Amino acid sequence: MVEFSWAPRSPLEHALVTGAHGTRGIEAGVSLTEIRNFDLIQVMARRGKGAELAKAAKARFGVTAPDAPKAVQGKDATLIWSGPDQFFVLSAGGKHTLQTLVPALSGPASLSDQSHARVLISISGVKARAMLAKLSSIDLHVGAFLIGAAAATSMDHTSVTLWRGNDRPDGLAVFNLLVFATFAESLWHTLLDSAAEYGVAISHSEELA
Amino acid sequence: MRIVCPFCGERELGEFTYLGDAKPVRPEAGASEDEVFDYVYLRDNVAGETNEYWYHGGGCRAWLKVTRNTLTHEISSVEPAAGAGAAKVGA
Ligand SMILES: [Zn+2]
Repeated sequence: MVEFSWAPRSPLEHALVTGAHGTRGIEAGVSLTEIRNFDLIQVMARRGKGAELAKAAKARFGVTAPDAPKAVQGKDATLIWSGPDQFFVLSAGGKHTLQTLVPALSGPASLSDQSHARVLISISGVKARAMLAKLSSIDLHVGAFLIGAAAATSMDHTSVTLWRGNDRPDGLAVFNLLVFATFAESLWHTLLDSAAEYGVAISHSEELA
Repeated sequence: MRIVCPFCGERELGEFTYLGDAKPVRPEAGASEDEVFDYVYLRDNVAGETNEYWYHGGGCRAWLKVTRNTLTHEISSVEPAAGAGAAKVGA
């Protein structure tokens, strides 16, 4: 008799090796942290229901959902723009799951659970922007890509959702990246190659920044 | 070449896919064979301003209608195509 294990596992379980990578003997210029065990729900307005969804989202999250490329911090959740009339709800600890959001939002919107369909990578460090500049044509200068700025874009021909979170306690910028689970390992290796020369500190965490 | 997506802002060409001429309109049911043939196969080879469909697949996944000059590559307008982003489409 075959026994199945349904425990969720990170798509980066094999590729991600905690510790130092690339150039040694210097302070790591780039920190790569995979965030695990998050809840991610895609919300897409039904045709002509954009205003109704905006109202329902405001009631649910206490903030206005983004209608332009931005990430907004709401009650226990980050709302990240993912395209016209659509956004992601990112949270942790079961606060906003498909089950709890359907009653609140499914009138004006279609919802789909992407919790296990995306990998979330947090990138920071003094060389984070230099390393991302090799992969992205978006201007990520701290004065151009402000906290809360977001983009649906591509890196290494892979679709990603990118946004700038709150700065680290030491004042350095944090860039968050959502990538499709099946492309995550490929992009992960590309990120490592790009960051190697600066020295990389690799970790994983269950803390949403 | 760069395209200013009405949803995302200015992006590099690599994020977009070209579909083709935005001018042909599907004929009514019962149209003549010549009209359907024209719609399916015949395209103008314009030296100047054309309307084209582009897909922002590497970004917001919206279909866009781009007015581009084939002689200069100058883009004079980019609009959401009908059906892309319900809130912003007039058509
Ligand atoms: Zn776009």
